Amino acid sequence: MPEVTRRDFLKAAVLLPLVPAALAACRRAGSERVVNFYNWSDYIGKDVLPNFTKETGIKVNYDLFADEEAMFAKIRAGARGYDLIVIGDYLIPRFRLLRLIDPIPPGVLKNRGNIAPRFRRASYDPDEAVVPYLWGTTGIGYNRKTVKKKPTSWWDLWDPRYKGRLSMLDNVRDCVSLALQLLGIPETTDDPADLQKAHDLLVKQKPLVAMYSSSSYLDSLVAGEIELAMTWSGDLFQAARDNPSLDYVIPKEGTYMWVDCLALVHGSRHRADTLRLIDYLLEPRVAADNANAVRYATPNAKAMPYIDPVLRRDPRVYPPPDRMKTLALHHVLTPEQTEMWNRVWADVKVA
Amino acid sequence: MLDRALSWLLGGRRPTASHLLLAPSAVWLTIFLLLPSAGLLALSFAHNGPYGAVSWTLGLQNYRRAFNPEYVPVLLRTLVFSGGTTLICLLLGYPLAYYLSFRAGRRRGALIIALMVPFWTSALVAFYSWMIILGREGLLNAVLRRLGLVSAPLALLYTPFSLFLGLVYFYLPFTVLPLYGSLEKIPRQYVEAAYDLGAGRWSAFRQVTLPLSMPGIVAAVLLTFVPCLGDFLTAELLGGPRYYLVGNLISNQFLMAQDWPFGAALTCLLLAGLVGGLWLYRRWEAVA
Repeated sequence: MPEVTRRDFLKAAVLLPLVPAALAACRRAGSERVVNFYNWSDYIGKDVLPNFTKETGIKVNYDLFADEEAMFAKIRAGARGYDLIVIGDYLIPRFRLLRLIDPIPPGVLKNRGNIAPRFRRASYDPDEAVVPYLWGTTGIGYNRKTVKKKPTSWWDLWDPRYKGRLSMLDNVRDCVSLALQLLGIPETTDDPADLQKAHDLLVKQKPLVAMYSSSSYLDSLVAGEIELAMTWSGDLFQAARDNPSLDYVIPKEGTYMWVDCLALVHGSRHRADTLRLIDYLLEPRVAADNANAVRYATPNAKAMPYIDPVLRRDPRVYPPPDRMKTLALHHVLTPEQTEMWNRVWADVKVA
Repeated sequence: MLDRALSWLLGGRRPTASHLLLAPSAVWLTIFLLLPSAGLLALSFAHNGPYGAVSWTLGLQNYRRAFNPEYVPVLLRTLVFSGGTTLICLLLGYPLAYYLSFRAGRRRGALIIALMVPFWTSALVAFYSWMIILGREGLLNAVLRRLGLVSAPLALLYTPFSLFLGLVYFYLPFTVLPLYGSLEKIPRQYVEAAYDLGAGRWSAFRQVTLPLSMPGIVAAVLLTFVPCLGDFLTAELLGGPRYYLVGNLISNQFLMAQDWPFGAALTCLLLAGLVGGLWLYRRWEAVA
């Protein structure tokens, strides 16, 4: 075996970092067909992207986040290289104000018409700068085997019986708005005293909470570690595939619905291919495959015939029209309100 | 001016060609430590603007907010967990280091490698494994129940126990290695001389070995306590929501609250506390 001398090793160590740069230089700039997609974890059907690549030859680099505020922090800090992101309805004005996303020009998507009228030119996106991807509700997930009395109220998440066996979403919007709702305070409040009350209510709940989590709690729910959880609808239905005793309720006080949207990252260098992917995700069969896999509701009207009938008839996924009327969208907060909410949430977490 | 600074950096010695060897690390530290720290310090005086945009009107408001009594419990909790972890690591690590340097003989090399093995897996993977072991439906509870030792599952995860366990698990090698390094250097003749002069095992240890290993103990304490103070991953995964530490408070400002200036102020305070503590210790050592 030829011996590797220290000098050879040093030479290699010095030259190795240059290899990717050299490779990149060989490639002609812009000729690579790729889309860098940044999405929630567990939020796409597993065949969707491979099929897209097979059909178009465009590669997709897929990256995941589990907390949209952390995703926002990363994009705002100047994380380069993402072309396509999924953002919640309430974040759209914020991303646009800071010019972190570029509006999708009208007319470039041939499949935009597939979106149901209810989800077009919605309050959070009056000029159709983004494309609705999936929507869902926030509610309570529970284990029918261990939770004897079916939860009906949000206050069940404050029930000392479930101490150490309940989890809350690690999400400022969901938790602070829930506290305000339970206190009968409108989301639009500017009064620091109101937010202090919300803070106190969440801190009061804290001794009962086993974890604040927006993704890993699902494993705990499946394993039986957690019995009661504030959850997003489709995530719970996905978990129920692994543990059939998991069920979902929208509490009697009502809840929020949210619409996650596909947005074009500002300064993306792969615009044409990104738009091609968005158009692909809007195709009725693709949108349906996607929604069937992740068990969230699709805003795509043309996809409805391909939705698994079990899901289509499930009022927990597609609430009946009278129930739909009671689902509110999150109010878009001003920068000052955002700061107050974030502060409350950060303080609750370390209280 | 420049040679003044240079001579200060070299501790009053005249620059020689061999000092050029310091250049690469000096450049590295300047770019990746000094400049970012200066940026952090500047940021800590800035204001938090709309949606977390930084506005550069300077003031002390972040520091004033950091002394909010609401954060005192977090600081105390951090000191308790860091101090406790350091103590447990010392109690576990000292006998281990002693064994390695005095008794292990030919097995020493293999044992030291075994000590380092946990470092080869990412802490994230290790902590997730602990979560599986400690959970209510986890491995440990299953075994205890099978053996009939407990009837209902024990709450082990998200307790002070699990947090201490994770911290000690992760930081123990940081304690053992400096202890081993200093015990190893103690000339064996000193200990033998103590025996010859009639000292028993215990008093030879107490009067010879222990004092000679003091520098190792100090290094071990620093290397365990200091990184422990800034830890947030262990608390996040194994401590659960009731046991968040200062590290979590800081990371929350950056990732969740979008308040970088406040996060920077907290970081600077933590850093100032550490540097101040070290300086006091040096002074005390010089006097003693």
